[in-house]
Amino acid sequence: MDEKLEYLSARWRDEGLKLLVSEIDPAKMHNVTTSMVDIYENGPEGKEYFLYLKCEDGKVVAFETGELPAPEAEFIIRGPYSVFASITRGELSSTRALMTGKLRLKGNMAKAVRLAPLADRVNKVLSMIPTDYREV
Amino acid sequence: MANRLDQTSPYYIDNRKRVADLQKAMEREGLDAYLGTRPRTLSFLLDAFIPWRSYVVVPRKGEPILHTFIVDATRVGDETWLSTDNVRAYAPMGGQDPVSLIAACLTEELGIERGRLGVEDGIATYTAEGNLSHYEYTQLEAALPGWTLVNAHHLVDELSIIKDAPTVARFREASRIVDVGQRAVFEALSDGGWKHLTETVVGGIAALAMRKEGSVSEWNFAGLNEISSGYRTALGACTPPTTKALAAGEPLMVDLHSMFHLALGDHSHNYLIGPATKRQRRHADNFVDLVQTVLDHYREGATPSSLAQVMMDRAESLDCSDFLLPGCEHGIGLFGDEWRIGHAMEGPFPYWTNPDHVYQEGEMVICAMQYASMEEGIGFRYENPILIGKRGCEPLSKHPLVIEEIF
Repeated sequence: MDEKLEYLSARWRDEGLKLLVSEIDPAKMHNVTTSMVDIYENGPEGKEYFLYLKCEDGKVVAFETGELPAPEAEFIIRGPYSVFASITRGELSSTRALMTGKLRLKGNMAKAVRLAPLADRVNKVLSMIPTDYREV
Repeated sequence: MANRLDQTSPYYIDNRKRVADLQKAMEREGLDAYLGTRPRTLSFLLDAFIPWRSYVVVPRKGEPILHTFIVDATRVGDETWLSTDNVRAYAPMGGQDPVSLIAACLTEELGIERGRLGVEDGIATYTAEGNLSHYEYTQLEAALPGWTLVNAHHLVDELSIIKDAPTVARFREASRIVDVGQRAVFEALSDGGWKHLTETVVGGIAALAMRKEGSVSEWNFAGLNEISSGYRTALGACTPPTTKALAAGEPLMVDLHSMFHLALGDHSHNYLIGPATKRQRRHADNFVDLVQTVLDHYREGATPSSLAQVMMDRAESLDCSDFLLPGCEHGIGLFGDEWRIGHAMEGPFPYWTNPDHVYQEGEMVICAMQYASMEEGIGFRYENPILIGKRGCEPLSKHPLVIEEIF
């Protein structure tokens, strides 16, 4: 695909879901059942966006993006749009972003820490999408 | 080993009842939530070993929520009776610091925007007491603008003072384990075995024997198994072992500590490594007499000062009062609960044992006596958890109260 898809757009979301379903091995996701939503602050046009992911038994069963309001999820991660864009590009790990205070997590940290490698796997897959990040 | 969370176990504690009792006390005092930080509170309410800085939020209704250091959260979740979802980890990550988590727990999860929060503050001889620090207090105040922080540790202290049957059963087992440690030391010392030993090795011999019996920790903050010999036996009530070799003609003090399901074994036994002088033997006989005299007077209605008086009167008659510290006990409870006796701030010095505290049936203390003649380089220590009854007390360690001369 040569065309760059707009970050968090409907087409980007559809491509992401397709890749996540095909590329993510449920066993490597430890057959986890969970959900998370990223809240993007200070996005293009000053708006707030979300990225929502739901897994059941390690399979990605829902992947949504858009403007707020966001669906409810077990984990909520909030931070600047630019930080999430860096993570999706694979330039920054989500763990490091949390450890340096660039992102703020809500949810049970004891469980979240075990899910951190899984989040990195998801981001690695999403980084495969040719993306126009609409830097703000 | 019987699982303490199995309801058929003699060590099973009704932890939900403990929480319910605290919640009733909170209601009486108009508290909307209680924030426990002291290890003694965490042990008492959550029935797990929680050594890292932790915060238990107890709402007026419902299950407590624990926030503990991320490195230990999974183990604690595995060992406590709390549901896994209610054992949370804090970490140096955005939104996951303790104050942010506690504030979110109270205002968002429990939905209480304004209220009174019981906290644990005070002073203790025990470094690891775990009171809320000034930094934590001010940070919580800033994060909870609608809340008033109220010192309320007395609620937990009051609930934990009378030991229930499963707690006593745990203490009995911890004491049985300590007795095994004492026997192992005796056997190692006997028949010239002492000639090859140092204080640290004696501590290790006891530790191995007690671990084999199921002790999980030589829990004592002041040096684990406290072993001293020679002049060091006269140095007071805190003697972490050194590499000093045992020597003929010297006293030896063996103060062992075990932990079983958070209950604390604590028994100190004394020896004279032969040949002992008549003067040493006299000191030893005096000390055994004094300990037995004091033990004979523990019962409901006695007070720390009345027992101290009994001890000092007997010491006067034995002509050895110059060698005694004028106290004969310290408090004890599940892990983290050590030293202060009683719960009320009714004595002349807040946070110190009230000398006029009236013992009740079901209380436990460590009968703790210290005898020392610095000039002669000799000292003895007795410690034993005792259960106070209506007409007497039960010393939980059954190791014989004698001071043997070892050859």
